[in-house]
Amino acid sequence: MAVSFDTSEHPGPGAGAKPPRLVHRVLGSPGLRLAGRRVLAALPVLFGVTLLTYVVMNLLPGDTAQILLGANATPAEIHQLSVQLHLNEPFWVRYGGWLGGVLHGNLGTSLTSGENVTTILGARLPVTVELLLYAFVASIVLAVLLAVLAARKPNGIADRFSMTVSMMGLSIAPYVLAPVLVYFFAIKLNWFPAIGYTPLSQNPAENIRSLTLPAAAIGFPLFAVYTRLLRADIVEQMQREDYIVTARAKGVPPWRILIRHALHNSLFGLITLVALNLGTLIGAAAIIEPIFSLPGVGAILIQSINDHDVPVIEGIVVVFGVVVVVANLAADLLYAALDPRIRHERSAS
Amino acid sequence: MTEALLEVTDLRVTFADRGRQIRAVDGVSYPVYAGQTLAIVGESGSGKTVSCRAVIGLLPPSAVITGSARFAGTELVGLTDDQLREHRGANIAMVFQDPARSLNPTMRIGTQIAEAVRTHRRVSKAQAREQAVELLRLVHMPLPERRCEEYPHQLSGGMRQRVMIAIALACRPRLLIADEATTALDVTTQAQIMELLLELQAELGMALMLISHDLGLAASYADEVIVMYAGRIVEQAPAARLFEQVRMPYTQALFEAIPRLERPAHTPLPVIGGRPPDAATRLQGCSFAPRCRRAADDCRAAAPPLAEHEPGHRWACWHPVGVADAG
Amino acid sequence: MSAPLPDLLAPAEKAKAASARARRSGWTRALRLWIPAGFLILLVAACFIWPHIYPVPKPVGGSVLNAGLPPLSPGHVFGTDPVGNDVFSRILYGGQVSFEVGLAVTAIGLVAGGLLGMAAGYWGGAADTVISRVLDVLIAFPALVLALAIAEGLGPSEVHVIWALAVFSIPATGRIARGATIGLRDQTFMLAARLSGTRGWRVIARHVVPNIMPQLMTFSLLGIGVIIILEGALSFLGLGIPLPEASWGSMIAQGQQSLSASPDLVLIPSAFLFATVLALNLLSDALRERWSL
Repeated sequence: MAVSFDTSEHPGPGAGAKPPRLVHRVLGSPGLRLAGRRVLAALPVLFGVTLLTYVVMNLLPGDTAQILLGANATPAEIHQLSVQLHLNEPFWVRYGGWLGGVLHGNLGTSLTSGENVTTILGARLPVTVELLLYAFVASIVLAVLLAVLAARKPNGIADRFSMTVSMMGLSIAPYVLAPVLVYFFAIKLNWFPAIGYTPLSQNPAENIRSLTLPAAAIGFPLFAVYTRLLRADIVEQMQREDYIVTARAKGVPPWRILIRHALHNSLFGLITLVALNLGTLIGAAAIIEPIFSLPGVGAILIQSINDHDVPVIEGIVVVFGVVVVVANLAADLLYAALDPRIRHERSAS
Repeated sequence: MTEALLEVTDLRVTFADRGRQIRAVDGVSYPVYAGQTLAIVGESGSGKTVSCRAVIGLLPPSAVITGSARFAGTELVGLTDDQLREHRGANIAMVFQDPARSLNPTMRIGTQIAEAVRTHRRVSKAQAREQAVELLRLVHMPLPERRCEEYPHQLSGGMRQRVMIAIALACRPRLLIADEATTALDVTTQAQIMELLLELQAELGMALMLISHDLGLAASYADEVIVMYAGRIVEQAPAARLFEQVRMPYTQALFEAIPRLERPAHTPLPVIGGRPPDAATRLQGCSFAPRCRRAADDCRAAAPPLAEHEPGHRWACWHPVGVADAG
Repeated sequence: MSAPLPDLLAPAEKAKAASARARRSGWTRALRLWIPAGFLILLVAACFIWPHIYPVPKPVGGSVLNAGLPPLSPGHVFGTDPVGNDVFSRILYGGQVSFEVGLAVTAIGLVAGGLLGMAAGYWGGAADTVISRVLDVLIAFPALVLALAIAEGLGPSEVHVIWALAVFSIPATGRIARGATIGLRDQTFMLAARLSGTRGWRVIARHVVPNIMPQLMTFSLLGIGVIIILEGALSFLGLGIPLPEASWGSMIAQGQQSLSASPDLVLIPSAFLFATVLALNLLSDALRERWSL
């Protein structure tokens, strides 16, 4: 599109300059600097989280070596295992050693199985990731759809429906919902399997089927929270913001106002909530995976806690910590993408 | 007598608030002619904004509107929102008070203007974009192409208001309503924007309605002035006439409250004591009586009707200023 | 071209309809508050008082001879579980646990979290930074994992569950208290109080606390629901209230094993859990509306 600049009337600074190209805008952008700052700020939190885990695990009563060897072990055997697993060295030495290993990509070895923690996690992580992604994406998409429908006519039918459904979802926990879902949809209707997992590579359709009920159990409460928040935000925008009145005065059709104007500017609250929620999803996975016999990370988390298998626990916590940090980072970048005022925070107009 | 572009007859607007009835507009009638500049002046809560928004259906759904507002022969009161949308932006456009909040902060200027165009005309995105640039030129915006790429927060208050005007003019409306359009601007910018509005009015042949609490503004720029109080019209006259021969004590008090350079320093400003009546309660007599210097018993007993006591000059008062009292 | 004359309701009639709607909503507002409140009061009364005034079979130590009775069997309104315990009485005693844990943890969170949050919000500066960082770490930490670890380490018992969950409740309440205090800090009456020479804690006690109370209360009501769910989760995983003592969570876990044969073993405790949390959420919403937060 040819653009001509009439600089004769008002030659201002930079007259004749074209707006900078997209690539340059991103790389030099304050957004990237913002991202860098966020990463830096997140590191101490990550550090704190791993430290806290280590502290909690190690201060707990119970001799790891004893637990591993069982009740019939002799004191000599216990002592030998303790030495082998470096269990008697001072706390900071152990933590430092572990941290050093992590920074080199080595997450240690499982105390129970002797396997490399990285291998264990590598095998199980995809299952959990797929499950959580499924739950997560479905709940967001459905939440947006329902919230927009509800906000179209506050206190209308769709709205009342959304409020009822949200209230129910907020009051139900995954472990309460899961057996109920299994009873109705697996046992009675036989639409989905009650337990078991089929890998994606093996059979995509079965894979989705095997993950639907667990994803629903995790996703329904999420969907409820997101719908409630989004609907409230959209309605607030529609009723209180002046630019909505301007759009109406222009004669813009109501759906376009709802979606392009109100929804677009309501996404911030949702993004914040989603990023915040991500960390708690590991807890949900830990409960749901055993119920459905899914070979994911959550399933071994509880087992490891019972076994005092610290390296495995630490490995899981670190991985999820990183995920949470990355998610919050992505959230910050999304803010900048959605709201140009944040992008231009530092630049003068 | 030419046909009025907009004919408002006995317009009433009520809101329900927690069981009470709030009468925001209480029987308002006036004509607006093509090419005319009409100013509606009043305090906050006088109903000036509500009455204009009621005409194009910008009030919340809880508002009950009765009466008539005929635009170019079409009755607007009672139309559905879909029907009103055809008029909004195309025939009747509005410019609002606070351009900082009235523009979508996450949308580029050009897109917002183009949106106004594409709502009523079938044009491509590129064409709409070109029209947006043209509209910015029309409102004397420097570097219009550049501005189209920018966001509202990157512009100054005066420039934002020009953008609002550009948006309003997108489909060449026949009536432009400026609702406190310059209130949020500094005095210099105010003057610039007002000049711009008048220039555009002449160029495009629109009718212009200025809504303001600033009587001085009305004096400087309007052809005809309506003064509203507590939901009713209390005085109406051509601007020049109003200022030479003000009749309504309220209007007179408004004039006196305008700060003037000629007054000696440190003279207290003669503000009007008291507050406007609560919109939910119905007063027996004239609604201004509690605050009026000239109030007498007949004022409190019955509300004076609005009538054309002198040619071209209507007022509603039992004891108007400068007229020998009857009996 | 001109539209037909619109059919206008006389203003009086439309207005009457509008105010009638307003009055009706005052009605339903009261209902929305008292129905959940009433339900909760009844439930709490049932769980704590009923076993004392009306004999109910013991929740533990049932005879295997009675195992697996369906609901509405004579003497066992909700039936019995696989070990022979009466389900109804286990619901009542499980409810006791849920409410005890919920209230205790929330109380601890309110006091400890509230104090920390108010201190951080009111004084700001270094204290705020430290407290906030600590709260951040605790909140970033997956709540369940932390609770699990603590509960596991301390051993399953009601008191340990309370401590484990308090670690989750304190930072959450603290965040809210801090946010609310900061919102209050710059208001004129606060400035006035400080200028008049009132000492820090006095200001907090007399000005901050009454003003953030409504927010904290509605948050805490929601919190009780969350805690009840978490306690259920811990018991579900076997790390909460130890069997054979009754807890709604462990009942669900147990009932899962015979899901197809006797679904009511799962559905009954699930229903109670759901209804209780639902009532708490509804109550919290209704209060928030009443106090227009």
